[in-house]
Amino acid sequence: MNLRLFAAEELKIALRSRWTQIFAVVFAILASGVAAAGYVISGGHGVQDFARTSASLVHLVVLIVPLVSLMLGVLSLSLERGAAEVVFALPVSRRTILLGRLLGLFAALALAQSFGFGLAGLLVYSQSGPEGIGDFVIVLGASFVATAVFLALAAFLSADAFGRRRTRALALALVAWVVGEVFIDLAALGLATLLPSGAASRVLILASLLNPIGALRTGALLLVEGTGAFGAASLALLRFTHGPAGATTLIACSLLAWTLVPAFWAGRRLERTDI
Amino acid sequence: MISFRGFGKTYGKQQAVRNLDLNVRAGEVVALLGPNGSGKTTSLKAAAGLVKPTTGVVLVGNPGQPSSEPDARRCLSFLPQRVAFQDSLSGQEVLNFHRQIRGVDAAHAAAALGVASLNGAVARAVSTYSGGMLQRLGLAVALLPDAPVFLLDEPTAALDPDGLEAFYKVIAKSRADGRAVLFTSHQMGDAERLADRFAILVDGVLVADIAGREMKDRLAERGNMRLRVPSLDASTLAGLRVMAPDAVFTDGELVVRGPAGMRPRVIELILARGHQIVDLVAEDGRLDDLYREMVGPQREPR
Repeated sequence: MNLRLFAAEELKIALRSRWTQIFAVVFAILASGVAAAGYVISGGHGVQDFARTSASLVHLVVLIVPLVSLMLGVLSLSLERGAAEVVFALPVSRRTILLGRLLGLFAALALAQSFGFGLAGLLVYSQSGPEGIGDFVIVLGASFVATAVFLALAAFLSADAFGRRRTRALALALVAWVVGEVFIDLAALGLATLLPSGAASRVLILASLLNPIGALRTGALLLVEGTGAFGAASLALLRFTHGPAGATTLIACSLLAWTLVPAFWAGRRLERTDI
Repeated sequence: MISFRGFGKTYGKQQAVRNLDLNVRAGEVVALLGPNGSGKTTSLKAAAGLVKPTTGVVLVGNPGQPSSEPDARRCLSFLPQRVAFQDSLSGQEVLNFHRQIRGVDAAHAAAALGVASLNGAVARAVSTYSGGMLQRLGLAVALLPDAPVFLLDEPTAALDPDGLEAFYKVIAKSRADGRAVLFTSHQMGDAERLADRFAILVDGVLVADIAGREMKDRLAERGNMRLRVPSLDASTLAGLRVMAPDAVFTDGELVVRGPAGMRPRVIELILARGHQIVDLVAEDGRLDDLYREMVGPQREPR
């Protein structure tokens, strides 16, 4: 009951948030732009089909959804001190409050993404028909998974961020995104060039699995496009797991862990925090 | 109802509160006073389950349970110092949410809203509220559950005279209903008007725990009486100074400092010596002065 109340309240607040509304509109424009522009860039005319759009959308999702989930997550979950004092003095456990708020936020961001995907999907469907729509749905699913993972991370970062500590949590969220998006892959590739091939492969596999952004990208591309668009790290993972099924399972486990572990520690930190 | 037992709180190297023992009984209103940084808010937050004790325990309710337990918090309401709500919600939505969490019916919520005198603004977004209106909404939210323990952190700081009047009534009703009320304030007038007992914290240590009756006596002892007396001879003044060594007579005004019990004897002596008293004003000592004396010299917040 309390969980549902907190989730519904957070959903209402998040849907009214200017940031969520901007995200929905920008995401819709970008997704529609990807659908419309990809074909033109590759020499065609009009709008590309669902299969091509989906492959292009993976990169958009992997770039934008983690950033937005982290930033909106921290902004929403790290309350002003006076608001936090009112909420956490209620006769509800802090974990229930956190989980409810996370569910509400997730629902709001999922709705915003569905709006963007929906517009792009209508555009593609009207021009190219339904072929490859399954891939499109898979990318939407990957987008939801990214939202869950990075909201959990945001919850962990903002567990003790009330009042003035919010700025620090926001900065940490930004750093986490840059590290996941750029530095881990670069560092892994750089390190791999210095190591013998066996060790290099292990480094690349670890980079794919331990970086949620890398895992998300590899998993989504594997499901949507097969191995054609794979880089060195993803190929190393594929070799290690002897095929796509093993790789998909490992990636799913990695992303599940990246959702559950930060969410669990966020709850633990929040319970121990003085408000 | 509220019981601090050896409560202590340390933030890093700073000890905010040390070994606090304080009880607030049902139907009792206790003012927690002290300078900025003396540990008042930390103590109140510990009672609300927001701050974990470093040492000791804070129990609320009857039978007492640690306020860190969610179930224990069913019996308490807390109004923070700078109460805040989500900007995009209206006052009514805020109230509805808390009403549902507390399992309170709509009629009771309407009554709480009425007490806080927020009826006109309740449909507006919280972002449009002034500090005083937020405080009133906070008061309405705090009044929702009819909780037997009421914790208020500087509740009157942002209230206008109407809000203050409403708040005074709330406290009077809380006392009559048998609630245990613990509030902090820098407004000595509020403390004097509302409290049955005064607890004074200085540097995290409880330096005084004074019952209302005792406080009244102490203030009465520190009062003064101003008498308009057209003339006063030297022997009468000398006689007065036996009772009140600080008695001063200038420009037809006699000022006599001392306990209230001495005043009739002063008047008798003046009249017995054939002098006239044209006007008389008697006032008790001020809580501000007594408080400053107890707290010591003005200090920087820790």
